[in-house]
Amino acid sequence: MSAIVAASLTQRFGSEVGLDGVDLDVDAGEHLAVLGDNGAGKTTLLRILATAARPTSGRIEIFGLNATIERRRLRAVIGFVAHAPGLYPALSAAENLAFYCTLQGVDRGRVAEVLELVGLAEVAGRPADKLSRGAQQRLAIGRAVLHDPKLLVLDEPDASLDSGGADLLARVMRGRTAVIATHDHALANRLCQRTLMLRRGRVVGVPTRLRVVH
Amino acid sequence: MTKYEKGALAAVAAMVVAAGFIFLYAPTDALQGPVQRIFYLHVSSAIAAYGCFAVVLIGGIAYLWKENVVADRLARAGALVGVVFTTVTLVMGMIWAKPIWGTYWTWDARLTSTLVLWIIYAGYLMIRRLADPGRQAARFAAVVGIFGFTDVLVVHFSVTWWRTQHPGPVVINDALPPQMLVAFFVTLACTLFLAAVMVAIRYRIEVLMDQAVEKSVPAPVVTPTEAGRVR
Amino acid sequence: MRSLAVALAVARKDLTSEWRTRELVPALAQFVVLALVIANFGFQIDSRNAPAIAPGVLWMALVFAGLVAFGRAFAAEREQSSLEAMLMTPASPAAIFAGKALAAALLLVLCEAVLLPALALFFSVPLSFEVVSAVLLATVGMAVLGCLFAAMVARVRARELLLPLLTLPLWIPFIVFGGQAVQVAMGGGGSTGNASGLLIDLDILFVVLTSLVARFVLDD
Repeated sequence: MSAIVAASLTQRFGSEVGLDGVDLDVDAGEHLAVLGDNGAGKTTLLRILATAARPTSGRIEIFGLNATIERRRLRAVIGFVAHAPGLYPALSAAENLAFYCTLQGVDRGRVAEVLELVGLAEVAGRPADKLSRGAQQRLAIGRAVLHDPKLLVLDEPDASLDSGGADLLARVMRGRTAVIATHDHALANRLCQRTLMLRRGRVVGVPTRLRVVH
Repeated sequence: MTKYEKGALAAVAAMVVAAGFIFLYAPTDALQGPVQRIFYLHVSSAIAAYGCFAVVLIGGIAYLWKENVVADRLARAGALVGVVFTTVTLVMGMIWAKPIWGTYWTWDARLTSTLVLWIIYAGYLMIRRLADPGRQAARFAAVVGIFGFTDVLVVHFSVTWWRTQHPGPVVINDALPPQMLVAFFVTLACTLFLAAVMVAIRYRIEVLMDQAVEKSVPAPVVTPTEAGRVR
Repeated sequence: MRSLAVALAVARKDLTSEWRTRELVPALAQFVVLALVIANFGFQIDSRNAPAIAPGVLWMALVFAGLVAFGRAFAAEREQSSLEAMLMTPASPAAIFAGKALAAALLLVLCEAVLLPALALFFSVPLSFEVVSAVLLATVGMAVLGCLFAAMVARVRARELLLPLLTLPLWIPFIVFGGQAVQVAMGGGGSTGNASGLLIDLDILFVVLTSLVARFVLDD
C-alpha cells in the first residue's frame, strides 16, 4: 500500500529551480532517508511532502488524497519537524505542547505522555528558550507526534540532537511512515529501509535498499 | 502589422478624433474659460481608471477562487494601466483646480479618493514586485486589490460625510449643453477604447514575461535516465 | 466551537508571551507619551487651541503605535516558523488570524490606557465615554486590517515601508469617523453625525472581509 506517490515534482522560486522532476514512491510504514548536500533540495522536497508547500508542478498523493488540494485533511495525519523548530521561547515546554493540543484537537493528557516519550518530563516547566538546543529539538519532535500522525516528516532532526537522539528518532518513527532528511549516512542506515539521493534538485542514481544493521 | 500594432494605431487615431471634438467641436465654457476643456479628458481618465481597477478586483477574486493565471495576468495589466490613468486624472485635476479654485489641491471627496486610489494601487504594484514571484505575489496582490477597491468606495463615502461636517469648495456643476455632452461622450468612448487597448497590450507583455521565466530553467546537471527514478 | 477555542488559545499564547517578556507595551507607552510631548512643542499647544489639536494628536499617536503593535504580531523571524507550525494543524487559518489580531488589539488597548489619560492631562481636554468608545471601536477595525497586512509583509522585503503604505489608506475612514467623534466629545463643536454607528459598520465589514481572505495570506 502506498503512503506517498509523487511524480515529476518541480519547485521553482522565480527563475531558480529547487526541485526538477522528482519521482517518489513510499510504502505505508516504510522509512525513507533523503540524502544530499546543502542546497540539493532536501528541505524543498520535505516541505512538499509535509504539505507545508505546494509544488510548482507535478503530482503528489498522500494516503490516496491529492496533497495539493486536501491539505487541511492531510495535516491532521502528518507530523512535520521543520528546519527551524518554531517554538515559543517565553512559554514552558509543557505550555508549548498544551497549546498545540488545542490546535490539534487532542486531549491535554497527551502533553505528559509526549514529554515522557521525548525525555523532557523533568524540564516540563522550563521556558523553551532556557532549554538546551538538543532539548528544544526533542520538544519540536514531541510536538510533531502529539496527534499520533501516520506520516512523519523530519528535516535534519539529528543536526542538534544530543546523545540518545538516534534512539529517540527510532522510537518516534516506529509504526509510522517516515521521511527523514539527513547528512548522516550511518543514521540513515540505522533508521531507514531505503535512501534517496538528491543533487541540484534531481534524484541521483538508483534508490538504495539498505541492509538494516542492528 | 500585428493585431496589437493595429489596435494601438486605432487607439491613437481615436484620441485624435476626441481631441478634435474637445478643441474644435465643443464650445468654450462661459464661466471657466478654455481651461474647462481639461474636464473632458480628466473625467474620462477617472472613469477609465475605475474601470481598470474593477478589472483588478474581478481578476483578483477569480484568482483566489480558481487560481486562474489568466485572471492574474489581467489583474496585473489592469493595475498598471489603471495607475497610469489615475496619474493622468490627478495631474489634470490639479491643472484645472488652480485657475478655478485658486489652489492646486483641496481635500474634497473626489480628489481625496483619487489620491488614495493612486496610493493603494502603487502599493499593489509594490507588493507584486516584492513578494515571491508566482503564486505568492499573485495571492497577495489579489488581496490588496480586493481591499483597495473596497477602500476607495469607503474613503469616498467617509470624506463626503466629513465634508458635510466641514464644508469646502463647491465644484461648479452646470448642466452640460448638448454640444459639450457630445464631446464628453466621444472622449469617454475613445479613452475607454484606449484603456482597453493598453490593457490588452500589457496582458500580452505579461504572457511573454511569464513564458520567459519558464524557459529560463537552467540546463540539467545530471542527465535524467530511467535509473534516476525511484523504483 | 473549535475555532473559537483556537482563536482564544492563540490570543492567550501571544498575551502570555508578551506578559512574560514585557517587550512591547512599555515601549509603546513610552512612545505615545513622547509623541504627546513633541506635539506640544510642534503645535505650540495652549489652552485655546488644545481642544482643536488634541484629537489630531491622538489619532496620529494611535496610528504610529498601531503600526508598531500590529507589525510585530507577525514580524519576528521565529514568528514565521511558528506560524507555519500552527498551520500544520487542523486549526483554521481564520481562527489563528483572529487570535493574533485579538491579542495585538488588546496590547494596543493597553497602550491606549496610557495615551488617553496622558492626553487628557497634558492638553487639558475632557475624557468622556464617547472618546473612549470611539477609540476602542476604531481599534477593532484597525487591528484586523493592520494584522492582515502585517502577515502579508512579514514574508516580503522592504516591510517597514510596505506596511504603512498598504495599511494607512485602509485606516483613513476610521480616523475620519473616530476623529470627528473625538473632536466633538472634546468640545470642538459640531455633531458626531452617527460616527459610532459608522465605526461599527466598518468594523463588521472588515472583520468579515479579513476572515475570508486570511487563509490566502497566511498559507500558500
